[in-house]
Amino acid sequence: MAEKAMLLDMEKCIACRACQVACKQWNELPGEKTTFFAAAGGYQNPIGLSPKTYTLVKFYEVEEQNKLKWLFRVHRCMQCVDPACVKACPVSPKAMTRDEKTGAIYVNRELCIGCGACREYCPFTVPVIDTEAGKSTKCTFCFDRLADGIEPACAKACPTDCLVFGERDQILEMAHKAKARLEKKGRHPVIYGEKELGTGTKKIYVLPEPLDYYPDVIKNPKVSEDLGFFHQMLKPFGTLTLTASLVGMVLAKMKEAKEKDKVKPS
Amino acid sequence: MIIGSNAAENHPISFRWVTKAMENGAKLISVDPRFTRTSSRADIYAPIRSGSDIAFVNGLMNYIIHNNLYNKDYLVDHTNASFLVNPKFGFSNGLFTGYDTAKRMYAKDTWQYQLDENGNPQKDPTLQDPNCVFQLLKKHLSRYTLEKVSSITGCPTELIVEVAKTYGATGAKDKSATIMYAMGTTQHTVGTQNVRTYAMLQLLLGNVGVAGGGINALRGESNVQGSTDMALLFHIIPGYLKTPRVENQTLAEYLEKWTPKSNDPKSANWWQHTPKYVVSLLKAFWGDKAQKDNEFCYQYLPKLSANCDHIAMFEAMYDGVIKGLICMGQNPAVAGPNVLKERKALERLDWLVAVDLWETETAGFWAEPGVDAKKIKTEVFMLPAAASMEKEGSITNSGRWMQWRYQAVHPPGNAKSDLWILDRLYKELKKLYASEGGAFPDPIVNLNWNYGAGEEPDVHLVAKDINGYDLTTGKLLPSFAKLNDDGTTSSGNWLYCASYTEDGNMAARRDPTDAPNKIGLYPKWSWCWPVNRRIIYNRASCDLQGNPYAPHKWVVKWNPEEKKWIGDVPDGGWPPGEKYSFIMKPEGYARLFGFGLADGPFPEHYEPLEAPVKNAMTSQQTNPVIKIWTGEMDDIGTVEKFPIIATTYRVTEHWQAGQMTRNNPWLVELMPDMFVEMSKSLAQAKGVKNGDRVRVSTARGHIVAYAVVTSRFKPFRLNGKAYEQIGLPWHFGFKGLAKGDSANSLTPHVGDANTNIPEYKAFLCDIEKEVG
Repeated sequence: MAEKAMLLDMEKCIACRACQVACKQWNELPGEKTTFFAAAGGYQNPIGLSPKTYTLVKFYEVEEQNKLKWLFRVHRCMQCVDPACVKACPVSPKAMTRDEKTGAIYVNRELCIGCGACREYCPFTVPVIDTEAGKSTKCTFCFDRLADGIEPACAKACPTDCLVFGERDQILEMAHKAKARLEKKGRHPVIYGEKELGTGTKKIYVLPEPLDYYPDVIKNPKVSEDLGFFHQMLKPFGTLTLTASLVGMVLAKMKEAKEKDKVKPS
Repeated sequence: MIIGSNAAENHPISFRWVTKAMENGAKLISVDPRFTRTSSRADIYAPIRSGSDIAFVNGLMNYIIHNNLYNKDYLVDHTNASFLVNPKFGFSNGLFTGYDTAKRMYAKDTWQYQLDENGNPQKDPTLQDPNCVFQLLKKHLSRYTLEKVSSITGCPTELIVEVAKTYGATGAKDKSATIMYAMGTTQHTVGTQNVRTYAMLQLLLGNVGVAGGGINALRGESNVQGSTDMALLFHIIPGYLKTPRVENQTLAEYLEKWTPKSNDPKSANWWQHTPKYVVSLLKAFWGDKAQKDNEFCYQYLPKLSANCDHIAMFEAMYDGVIKGLICMGQNPAVAGPNVLKERKALERLDWLVAVDLWETETAGFWAEPGVDAKKIKTEVFMLPAAASMEKEGSITNSGRWMQWRYQAVHPPGNAKSDLWILDRLYKELKKLYASEGGAFPDPIVNLNWNYGAGEEPDVHLVAKDINGYDLTTGKLLPSFAKLNDDGTTSSGNWLYCASYTEDGNMAARRDPTDAPNKIGLYPKWSWCWPVNRRIIYNRASCDLQGNPYAPHKWVVKWNPEEKKWIGDVPDGGWPPGEKYSFIMKPEGYARLFGFGLADGPFPEHYEPLEAPVKNAMTSQQTNPVIKIWTGEMDDIGTVEKFPIIATTYRVTEHWQAGQMTRNNPWLVELMPDMFVEMSKSLAQAKGVKNGDRVRVSTARGHIVAYAVVTSRFKPFRLNGKAYEQIGLPWHFGFKGLAKGDSANSLTPHVGDANTNIPEYKAFLCDIEKEVG
């Protein structure tokens, strides 16, 4: 299966933000109004993913035993192999679309009702609902560029080839090579995205340090069990009922989530 | 080694290649007062306080000499290490022999080689003679002990040793290292000597002319290499020929003064061809008007009687001496040193022509908040300019590659290319001189100016003029070897001769095939000067028989069957042993002892003009040759009032004085506000938290900015005492989508001893939490 994936070899990242800007340019997203920097430890802006920001570079300043480390990580949708967001999407046909050919997961804005189910069930809490437009927003994996056989905008713009696009098994091979390279240098790298959620994701990170150094990265991401439960329970009753029940449940959870969102950064 | 540069942030594409090199096993050393995004990728990070670079590199060289890591054969075969120097040459109390205290300059009589009966330098190839360059250098550098260097730089001795050992390992014949530097190196009163230390370090290790070696000046703008090649600076004319001085009254006198001589038949002494390049340049400027009987219009060239560098120009504007300014693609109101004075200087102009993409802080100096425009008499002309993708032409990069660019889009509205603007200016001046006369219109009205009849001047015709013609046939010349001093050839820049030939526009080539030696020369991708030689001095990559020192990464090698060099364009096609390798020096050898500079043949640590400490090396506190300006608004601060070391720098997200980036919403999102970076200890001492507003003051003025409190700055232990350092990006100004105070309100009007480039990188300040 020619499932596409992206390697994010974060040791090579120089936090130049070319990816962040290229993504905005390609998706015609505006700049956000910001002040100073969103977080201590670096130059991050804006504060989180949003309808205007699908990819975000984060900075981690770490000092240990008199050695200083400044780590960088670009944060966006993990493009899961078995996406919970698609399962959760209550409309039919699905607004949260999974492209057959490449596996790219993106929001079909025409179909999206902005219910927030995708965000609720995303193990990484990535999608952000644009409350004005009533749409879910997130990294599209540049499905429109992939359709023309060209790589995602972020990978194209990255000057140090830290973002590399290819077939998933090739990317995994590169990830393991990168891990070996880092281990040879005496570091303790982690591959994130290979086996997470069981079937893994299509964004394969090679982080040069253990996950403790990246406190915002979810250690053992899990999809909420009730997503599967509802699917199993309501299947015999047909698509319509399934949809109606899911919508009902989701609307209730949305209210709950709105409260949670007020304190949870993305 | 990346030193005086933050390549990952400011030259990210160069860092692409550093990343690949590291993947192939290369080690990266980052030397910087602040831990930057470059340092985050480095194998070794060595902190040194701003203004202590010479001490650091002299310390490395001292270690390398003492531990025998230097490449002895290379030194004897390719450098002046073995040359004997006048025994009267000396150094004491921080001064070399020949210093004139009143004139603040050196007479260089004692800075000369001992000559034999043929007038050629005497040598000791065993490097033992106490007067040979090597022994003199060893003696000079022996004062830079690890303890001394640590005390001056604040860098721990273990780190100095780690850098020296790692870098020094490339003294081995089959190993090489490269140095990448930028304005962190040059923008000091000792900037040129900073660069000299890198050249000397590389020569000691045999790293010049070899693959993976050399010194890489990462230029500050995409085409500043092109601009210096074309001599936009006052002291040179195109191709690094010297601007005539007032003492050079005739062409003959000028050529006699500036054409170096050598009595050694083995020295190619390439600058001996100066007359050919000068006369060909004059023919390019004035065409048929330039003839032998009028000294080829030499009298049309202005003659220098004083320094006309940036600081001098603005001082003259402030004093009302310079009345008008044409400012093309430059924003000195943000980018100049001491901008509070420079903005005042602009107010005193009768007229200002600003050519730019936006109305910048310079073009709109009269609209600065707090300035009363009604009191300003300057007539300001704003000419909208086309951006680089909106016009055709070439850009020359740090590797000397002249890369042709096509016009991708049309400029908006009335914006015009610089070429169009200059062409119109010339034509209008010519018309006015014809109708009104003038004091001396000849140099302008007689210009050889034929760039087509179209609305847009033909930039290809400009490029061809620069390449040059055989005037007897009208054909484009194939190389500068064909230039003559008799008026039969023209060339707008001898270095670029071969860039646009009868075979076409070499700069526009895009063939990515590498050369047979596969070291990344890409000889058919664009064109580089001179004559497409990609690594200069490449015969120094071989022994005197023409065999590469590092066969696995050979640059050139002598093919005895074909009787020619193969690989890169050889730096002189003569067979091995016939001519020395450093052909641009009259003696033919690279200079460890470099008597061409104004402030000394060996680099010596002097403190910046505003220094936190007394010079620990000698009693000569600052560079003895620099010009000290003492006019209004030229105040200098002392450590008692301003105890904190300050430096300025650039970031990835913003560009120069900010017109292009502070008007781009995506970039403004990333860095919307002016900030100052400081250590945690300094922040604590001042009661400042991350994100607080702070006031930074110097003797010139103050600014207010957000505080970034970080581990990436640490206090420096200098002579046992802790000194704090802060850093400021200098991109902000009062115009644009993102506004902020200009860091250059703080920097002083003082420049390097040789180039006059301002000392933006090391000065003194104080900070305090801003109230209200």
